[in-house]
Amino acid sequence: MAGLCRLCCRKPANVSTVARIISARYATFSEDDLPGLYPKTPQERKTAAKKYGMRVEDYEPYPDDGLGWGDYPKGQDVHDDDKDPHADWDFPEERRNFGELVHIEQDLLSRARPNIYAKSNIPLKKQAMMLGTVLATLAGLFWIGGHFKNFQPVGPKQFPYNDLWEEKGNRPEDVPETKKHYVI
Amino acid sequence: MGHVWSAYVTSPDTAPDLHKLPTFNPLYGFPEGREERVMIATQEEMNKAQVPLDRRDYCAHLFIAWYKCRRDNFPNVFACKHSKHDYEHCEYGDFVMRMKEYEREKRLLARAKRKRLREEKEKLKD
Repeated sequence: MAGLCRLCCRKPANVSTVARIISARYATFSEDDLPGLYPKTPQERKTAAKKYGMRVEDYEPYPDDGLGWGDYPKGQDVHDDDKDPHADWDFPEERRNFGELVHIEQDLLSRARPNIYAKSNIPLKKQAMMLGTVLATLAGLFWIGGHFKNFQPVGPKQFPYNDLWEEKGNRPEDVPETKKHYVI
Repeated sequence: MGHVWSAYVTSPDTAPDLHKLPTFNPLYGFPEGREERVMIATQEEMNKAQVPLDRRDYCAHLFIAWYKCRRDNFPNVFACKHSKHDYEHCEYGDFVMRMKEYEREKRLLARAKRKRLREEKEKLKD
């Protein structure tokens, strides 16, 4: 109760203070963070490289073919899974060092994503051989099953009235020969 | 050994054709003649009872009795277990007869082969 009274009697916080705190906490996006335009002149390249904290020799943006990312530097398409897990990373969970360039598509390269760049340990030739072995085995088994059919050791089923000649839709006067079935 | 083994491996030349059976005279080897199979249900009866084509065999009269019982006792179809058993027993006997026909054909084919070989041997001796 006393705590509630104290809360009620406290001087309300200044509105501008609240706004400042909230904006500081959540406003991590501004147009300054977006990549700039594709650098065309050497001077622009130099500026862009400096902006991203890189040397001009190392700086290489994505090609400006309509699918590029402005002046954002090109990163290596290395999935975090493929990075050395035992290296002395500054951020071991992200396998990344401080100041290292963040790949523009890092959301696809993080360890929470499947590693689409992963290469199989099995060479392509061997993979094809394994698939071929399975398919050939199946085909062989199917051929054997089709060629040597399993069957029950019984004769054909015997039906009365000349193998149901009339019931099967034939004319009664066309009966080829009266068939007789015997008890055995 | 098993019929599949003998049909494909040990004696494929005397394996019976499952769909054309018997190829020998049915009365061959029965000096007193054979008893003919008796069909009890008439064609008209089967038509009236709407018996499916594959059930119009020599047990059709039992099938009709069973289904008549089912109709009369529905939904208590368990009351017809005896007539159902009668029908199935008849079908079992039918199947056994088919097995015997197969075996007869198989043995007659083997016998025909033995006879043929013996004749050829005698021909070579002459």
